[in-house]
Order: sequence, then C-alpha cells, then structure tokens
Amino acid sequence: MTLTPRNRNIAIGLVVLSVAIASMFCLPTGEPHVEVKAEPLFFLIGSPENPFFPFVNSFTIMLIADVLLIGLAFAATRNMQMVPRGLQNALEMAVEALYNLFATINREYVARAFPLVATIFFYVLFANLLGLIPGVGSIGVCQEYHHDTHGTSLTGRLAAREPGGALPLYASAEEEGAAHGNAYNTCPAGTILVPLFRTPSADLNFTLALATLAWVYIEYQGFKVLGRGYLKKFFNTNGIMSVVGIFEFIGELVKLPAFMFRLFGNIFAGEVVLVVLAFLIPLFLPMPLYVFELFVSFIQAFIFAVLTMAFITVATTGHEEEHHEGQPSAAH
Amino acid sequence: MGELGLNLNLFLTQLINFGVVVTVLSYLLYKPVLNMLRERTERIEQSLQEADQVKQQLANARRDYDAEIARARQEAAGILSQAQDRARAQEAEIIAQARQDADRIRSDAREQALQERDQLLREVKDQLAELVTLAASRVLQAELSTQGHDKLIEESLAALGRQN
Repeated sequence: MTLTPRNRNIAIGLVVLSVAIASMFCLPTGEPHVEVKAEPLFFLIGSPENPFFPFVNSFTIMLIADVLLIGLAFAATRNMQMVPRGLQNALEMAVEALYNLFATINREYVARAFPLVATIFFYVLFANLLGLIPGVGSIGVCQEYHHDTHGTSLTGRLAAREPGGALPLYASAEEEGAAHGNAYNTCPAGTILVPLFRTPSADLNFTLALATLAWVYIEYQGFKVLGRGYLKKFFNTNGIMSVVGIFEFIGELVKLPAFMFRLFGNIFAGEVVLVVLAFLIPLFLPMPLYVFELFVSFIQAFIFAVLTMAFITVATTGHEEEHHEGQPSAAH
Repeated sequence: MGELGLNLNLFLTQLINFGVVVTVLSYLLYKPVLNMLRERTERIEQSLQEADQVKQQLANARRDYDAEIARARQEAAGILSQAQDRARAQEAEIIAQARQDADRIRSDAREQALQERDQLLREVKDQLAELVTLAASRVLQAELSTQGHDKLIEESLAALGRQN
C-alpha cells in the first residue's frame, strides 16, 4: 500500500503526537526546578545559615564561558597569519562584523568602546548558549533544604496552596521541606535538587554587573565628551526643555534596571518555559522552543551590545547637535 | 532583593570577572585582530596602488613599444627605399658598364679579327706566290726570262684577287 505525501505527513504527525502524549504518562521527569535566584553549591565564606559568599551554580557556567572565550581567543591569535585560516578566520570574521556594525552606530567612539560592547555580546551569547545544553538546570546535587538559600519551589507552593485557593507566592520552610520527596522528586524527602549549572544570564547578579558596567561606561563617556554640558541635558532652565530634561534624567536612571531585567527576564523565562514543557510533555514539544531559545540567546546578546553602543552615542551627543541634526540645513 | 538572589559579593565577583574578561579579550583578541585587519587593509590598499602603478607602467611601456615599433617600421621603410634606390642606381651603373665593356670587347674582337684576316691574307698571298711560281716552273718546264717570270706572277695574283 502506498501513501500519498499528504497522508504520509498526517501519519507521521499522528505518530509524533501519540509518542508525545504517551511520554506524558510513561516518561516521568523530575520536578520542574524553577528558582529565581542562583543557588549555592557550597560556601566559600559562610554557611547555609549565614550565606556570606556562596559559590553559586551560575559561577560554573561563568567559569566555563571564561575559559572557552579566553581559550578560543588565545588559540585564534597565538600564530596569526596574513592569510587567515580556520579559527583565526572565524574569529576575525566575527570581530570584523561586530566592529563594522558598531561603527555604523557610532564611528567616532567605536574604537574606544569596542572591547566592552564586543565582550558583552560574546560573553552573553556564550553564556546563553551554554545554558541551553541539555543537563543545565536538571543535573544537580541533592542538598538539605534551607529556606534562606533555596527559596520557594513550585512543589512547595503547590503544597502550601489551600484547597480551591490561588497558588501562593511563597511557601513556608516547613511546607517546602515536607513537599519534597514526592513521586516526581528525584531527591529524598527534606532535600532539594540544586542544579550544578545555571546560565549567568538567569542570575540577577550577573545581569546587574553587566548593566552596571555598561551604564557607568555610558555616563563616563557622556561626562568625558560633554563635560558639564552633559548635566545640562537633564537639568536646565530652558522652558519646556527643563521638563523634558527631568524625564530624560529618569530615563537615564531606568536604563540600568532595564538592562538588567531585560536580559534576565528573557533568558530566565525561556529556561522556565523549556523546563515546564519538558515536565508536561517530555518528547518533541520542547524541540521548536529550543530553536526559538537559540534565537533568543543571540538576539539578547545582540540587543545588550547594540543598546550599549546606541546609548553611548546618545550620551556623547549634545542637545544642540541633536537639534542641528533634526533640522534641515539652510547651507544646502 | 534577597528573594531575587541579589548578593553584594556575588555581584562584585561577577563584576570583577567580567572586567577581567574584557581586559584579557581586549589584549588577546580585539587588539591583535583589529591590528591584523588594519594591516591587511593597508597592504591591500598598497597592493592596489602598486597594481595601478604597474598597470600605468604597462600602459606606458605598451605606448613606448608601439611608438618604437612604428619608428622602426618607418626606419625600415626608409632603409628599404634607400636600398632600392641604391640598388637601382647600381643596376643602371652595372648595366652601363657592362654595355661599355661589351662594346669595347666587340670592337677589340672586330679589330683583332680584321688584323688576323689581313695577316692571314698576306700570308696566303705569299704562299700562293711561291706555289704559283713553283707550279708554273714545273708545268712549263721551260726557262723563262726574268721579264716573262714577273709577268706571270702578276697575272696569277690578279686572278687570285678576282677569285676573292
């Protein structure tokens, strides 16, 4: 019996759907581990009760990204040839493409700002892509549950929910500890699975550090180029512009949390969606979302870097220049 | 902020780590790669300039070559024409000389032939005179006087002159 292409595609679709649905019942996965903050694997200084300086799971990917980036850079540039090949060629192409892209945004300051914005792009991209490797977020160690360091899990919140009530935001330490050890938990009761790896972009400390560096550099360039004139952009007595300046000042301050939460939100949300989908339907359904997350990883790295460069341009441009650029020139 | 996981030490660690990565990549990757790209751009520009120069030189050489070839052709045509003129003059000279030589040889030969003929005639006359004398004396077997002898010789000679 031969099938027409249309019928064959329908048959394949039905088989895939059946396998996906069957995987919901026959392939139990661990509890979806959703945790807003990076969790400590051990403590460099302090203890679970007094977590002064923990070694959190986002550090592992951070260190891997460090080694990968520096190793690649070293391997590509240790014996540079006039006619590039292999890794040198690939990295030269990437660096040149980025440089030309940033030069289209701001040709004047690109040479100065390039190390920062290019590293933002490469580092965030590497960190995001490493976070998509299967096992990140699911391979971990079972640790005794501590409310201060581990926060509230979905399981704990489900356990804390009153019958018929809404899902609470937090669960108490007792409820959380008692909730673990159910059918979906791979760790014994009273313990919680702490993943060994977590992408730094899903750790607010990393995104805040990155946002702080970018923001400080933007403001520094603004002051360096415009001097006191930079402050006049925000505080002046020029009629309506004084009100606009206040809004611009607020906008300037908001840039930092915007940088921080944009990256964190996108990457963390992507991880949560993947984990929850893998929990609900382990086979096939997460695959298109993986492709989407690859795209999100790239686009977030790109946005962070390009926005930094664009904000440098805005910060180093005085109001007078902006007006001149906005008006048609009479000289022509 | 604790619920979000913000921790000053973790933040500072991430900050320092990223700062270190920026510094290391700046010296290890961006600086060498951008220098290499700049150097390559300069070299390509230089090569293009050199190529333009070479092209210009080639065009000049081509022009010089064409001019030289044209000049050489003109010279060759001039030389050829001179040679042809000279050859024509020499030819005419040689022909004139040959004609002169031929005329001279012909006149010499004619003169020599006439001389030889006269000489031969003289010799034949002498021999005939002797023969006639001898023959007459034998036929007649008679002794003639000196007067009769001379008369006979003259008559014989006259007869020979008529025959010739």
